[in-house]
Formats: sequence, structure tokens, C-alpha cells
Amino acid sequence: MQDSEFNDIVREYSEPLYWHIRGIVNSHEDADDILQDTFVKIWRSLPDFRGESAVSTWVWRIATNEALSFLRKRRVRAMLQFKSIDEQAERTVSGDPWFNGDEAARKLSVAIAKLPDKQRAVFHMRYYEEMPYEQIAEITGTSVGALKASYHIAQKKIKEQLNLL
Amino acid sequence: MKNKSSYSVPEGYFEDLQRRLSGIPAREPRRTAVRRLTPYLALAASFALIVAVGTAVLRKTVPPVASEQEIIEYLIDSDMTLAQIIDYLP
Repeated sequence: MQDSEFNDIVREYSEPLYWHIRGIVNSHEDADDILQDTFVKIWRSLPDFRGESAVSTWVWRIATNEALSFLRKRRVRAMLQFKSIDEQAERTVSGDPWFNGDEAARKLSVAIAKLPDKQRAVFHMRYYEEMPYEQIAEITGTSVGALKASYHIAQKKIKEQLNLL
Repeated sequence: MKNKSSYSVPEGYFEDLQRRLSGIPAREPRRTAVRRLTPYLALAASFALIVAVGTAVLRKTVPPVASEQEIIEYLIDSDMTLAQIIDYLP
């Protein structure tokens, strides 16, 4: 029974979750790895899922946490190797062979990649996935007010970055 | 998603992805209830062990406390007056 439920989730959410993760981490290879880990977690947690939130919210929460955990580890690794996080963000976007946007899209992606991890995830969900704040609040466990403030600050930072780039 | 056009994926990626993800139940064993409880059981066992060892060490190292009766006997045998003994009693 749970195999078929899991396969239904794979059919319905694998592609949208891929784009969700890809938007947060940028690189195709990283998004693919994180998506695999996300679905392993979904499979393992499925018996404990009691339907307190919608399936979509639940799977988005797992995917977002996996992506943020990946970014946190990457940030720590960069700091330990004395590498600039901003440079790394630029390299991730520019070095992705599966990025085919124009120069303006590349600059926007770099500016977004330089945002703090959680702010970037929130910005992505609101701006690109056009998710209501209430749903983002359920996924991230943050209040709607704090999310609105975070989004506003992210927009401001991106504008500043675009003027610099 | 608005910016999908800026990103691409290898050809046939999503078909292959669904096939790979559908294989997860076959290769990822679920954690049974016992395996899920193992860390908590280990924590409880460690706590019990620490309490047991701590108690044993205290019993070996701390001298035994005299009972109230023993204290009274000691005071009676001493050269103290009854008034002084009463002052000592709780």
C-alpha cells in the first residue's frame, strides 16, 4: 500500500520538487543529489505521516530542509577552506552547464545565490513559485510577518547586487 | 516556475528520475520500530548505568551517617547535662 502511495508522490512531485531544489541550490548535479535524498527521507517518513498538513506542504518541507542543510554544509566547507562564499555563489551559477539564461538572468541568479540560505529559499518560493506566504510559513515554520520582512529585505539586497554586477 | 527557462536538464532526465526514485522502496530498508527506538533505549541505559555507578561510588567513599538514636546514645554517654543534650536534639 505504502509503495503505491510513494509512487504516487514520485509521479506527482518529483518534477516540481526538482525545480524547487534547483532554484535554491542552482546546480543541476546538486539538485539531483538533494532530490534523491529528499525522496529517501519521504519514503522513510511515510509511515509517520499523519496528514496533519497537506502532502504537498510536507514534501516541500522535507525538500527545503534538505536543500538548506546542503547549503549549510557547503558554506561551512567554504569557510574552512578560506574561500569566499560570494565567489562560490558566482562560480556555481556560471559553472553550471545546464544554465542557459541570458546575461541578465545570470546576474539575477548570482544576486539571488548571494542571499543568506533561508532568505534565498523564501525568496524563491515567493517570487518564482508564487507561493502564498501562509504556505511558506507552514513549510519553513516561520511567521508570515517575518517572511514578509525577509522577502522585502531580499528584494532590496538583490537590487543592490544588480547595481554592483 | 517563472525562471525555468533559464535552466535546462539533460535529455530524458525526468523519465530517468522517476525510474530511479521509484526504485527507492526496493533498496532502502525502512527502520523498524525497534531500530527507531534504539537510540532512546541506549540513552536510557546509559543514564541508568551512570546512576548505578554513581550510587556505588558514593556508598564506597562517603562515610555512613549516624542514626538519630546513635547520636542520642553518644550524647548520653558524654559528660553533658540534660539541658545541653536537649539543645542538641532536633
